[in-house]
Amino acid sequence: MIPTMSPVDMREERAEKLIVQNVDVFYGQFHAMKKASLGVAEHCVMALIGPSGCGKSTFLRALNRMHDLTPGARVEGEVLLDGENIYAPEVDPVSIRHRIGMVFQRPNPFPKTVFENVVYGPRIHGEKRREYLLEVAERSLRSAALWDEVKDRLDRPALQLSGGQQQRLCIARCLAVDPEVILMDEPASALDPIATSKIEDLIEDLKREYTVVIVTHSMQQAARISDHTTFFLSGELIESGTTSDIFTKPKDKRTEDYITGRYG
Amino acid sequence: MASLTPTVGGSRARRAAVPFSQSPASGTLAGVLTSIAAGICLLLVVLMLLFLLWYTWPAIRYNGLSILSDITWNIGNQYGTGSSIHNGVAAEPGAEFGGLVFLVGTLLSALLAMVFAVPLALGVALTIVYRLPERLRLPTNALIELMAGIPSVVYGLWGTIVLVPWVGNHVAPFVTHHFGFIPFLGGDAGSGNGLFAAAIVLAIMVMPIMVATVRDVLLAQPKSIYEASMALGSTSWQAVTHAVLPSVRTGIVGAILVAFGRALGETMAVLMVAGNAINILPQNIFSPINTIAAVVVSQLESAVSDASGVAQRSLAELALVLFVISLAVNTIARVAIRGQDRSH
Ligand SMILES: Nc1ncnc2c1ncn2[C@@H]1O[C@H](COP(=O)(O)OP(=O)(O)OP(=O)(O)O)[C@@H](O)[C@H]1O
Ligand SMILES: [Mg+2]
Repeated sequence: MIPTMSPVDMREERAEKLIVQNVDVFYGQFHAMKKASLGVAEHCVMALIGPSGCGKSTFLRALNRMHDLTPGARVEGEVLLDGENIYAPEVDPVSIRHRIGMVFQRPNPFPKTVFENVVYGPRIHGEKRREYLLEVAERSLRSAALWDEVKDRLDRPALQLSGGQQQRLCIARCLAVDPEVILMDEPASALDPIATSKIEDLIEDLKREYTVVIVTHSMQQAARISDHTTFFLSGELIESGTTSDIFTKPKDKRTEDYITGRYG
Repeated sequence: MASLTPTVGGSRARRAAVPFSQSPASGTLAGVLTSIAAGICLLLVVLMLLFLLWYTWPAIRYNGLSILSDITWNIGNQYGTGSSIHNGVAAEPGAEFGGLVFLVGTLLSALLAMVFAVPLALGVALTIVYRLPERLRLPTNALIELMAGIPSVVYGLWGTIVLVPWVGNHVAPFVTHHFGFIPFLGGDAGSGNGLFAAAIVLAIMVMPIMVATVRDVLLAQPKSIYEASMALGSTSWQAVTHAVLPSVRTGIVGAILVAFGRALGETMAVLMVAGNAINILPQNIFSPINTIAAVVVSQLESAVSDASGVAQRSLAELALVLFVISLAVNTIARVAIRGQDRSH
């Protein structure tokens, strides 16, 4: 399979927004991610690929300290956000998650109205001005390409939206917090092809303002939307590079086997 | 206290136990048997109600509304002559069966128990669901089941031996002295037997069922709600107060009502610590009280000696009142919990 490339100039130098250094993740005794190191360039889309169970979600959740929420999970190593280690003892994980947003595999809107979903972040951060919240809601929903579909039903329950709309609502909710990095864990895997292509278009747009790290099961999707790709296998980071390099001249035999379809 | 299993076997078991539900199993043998069993239960409840109504009918006529509005409970002079007649029903001379003291005691002790138990149970259930490592879950759940299995009289003994002296010697004097200016906290500190001790014992006794029900409601809610909030940069507290609890509001209300229903009907332990008040309404939270369930037990012996039978039937009438209240509370609780289940 020779995927088509997105027309991005790979030689262009960009600052590294995130630097992952020797990260290990354990679930109890189970060593789920082994010494992973990786740089993520600013305003780029980084795709994480690999077979099911290889540790993509595990790696992703290490980037915004979501493992803190899993009883029994432990992370070692460093993740630098603009050069600052997010696992340093003095760092507040809440402020990290404020700067590094996350969109999950299944759309998970709150059982509240569309509007209340979008402004959830600003609200808990103390914003009360209705005018401002409306403005944030509109801006975020527009960025998430959802505004036209929901502008007349902001006060309806979010759970009445379609799956694809719910996922874009979750993206809007994430944008409303104004993060610097957005992590996405297979955001389109529960969606139909049309909804998927909407999300993909959206990701293309998002990287202008944000840095995106996205887990995907689909190599075609990785090829379509990402600038860089990282391949994982059984809890190890095997290889990382520009998407075109990974798909056309992988250095590791295992990467080649995977992209040519020799693993599940 | 009864086992937890019939009410809180997890949302799946709960659904299966709903009478006449249109579950996919309806057509199968198991479905038919479940429906029959549920039908029999319902029938028993109706029969019990009818029986109580029939049995208490003379008392209902004799007492009229005073069973709910009067504070005097007096089975009358059994050695006197003549009789006291109301609505064509004769009882001993001077007999009056006002149940207000017991009704108030029942409601107040159960309500105050909720005040103590709800925050604690919410905290424990949230900890179990969101904080406890997997390997500690099972032992914790077992411990909760175990707590639910402790006989009521054991709680009552603990209440009598430990709690009541502690309340009487320390808590009540301290509170009435320092916070006496707050209504219902001032006045006589009492002996320790009373509303406060009863509410504490009740709170402890309903904790297991409340924790278990809230836990099941939280587990039925996708964990992603909590994670979604945390991923937006909320604190754990904000996630719980802004996202988790609001989205399971009706389920929590249901859990509280189930526990409230239990507290209303609890007998033995309350009887042992409530102070056995009669003919007087509580003046503050340390006053002796009495509950319907407790008074039925404690007054039964003297009521049996009433040759007219109205005393016995009046006690039964009180039991009927309790039955109806419990039935109403439980029904609302079920509806709330089922509504919550379905919303996911
Ligand atoms: N909370 C957990 N406790 C214990 N083990 C876990 C936990 N979460 C994941 N694992 C294990 O860690 C390994 C990596 O899981 P992870 O979810 O990161 O894989 P993945 O690459 O995202 O897979 P998929 O593509 O199926 O989502 C798996 O073997 C999984 O069973
Ligand atoms: Mg995954």
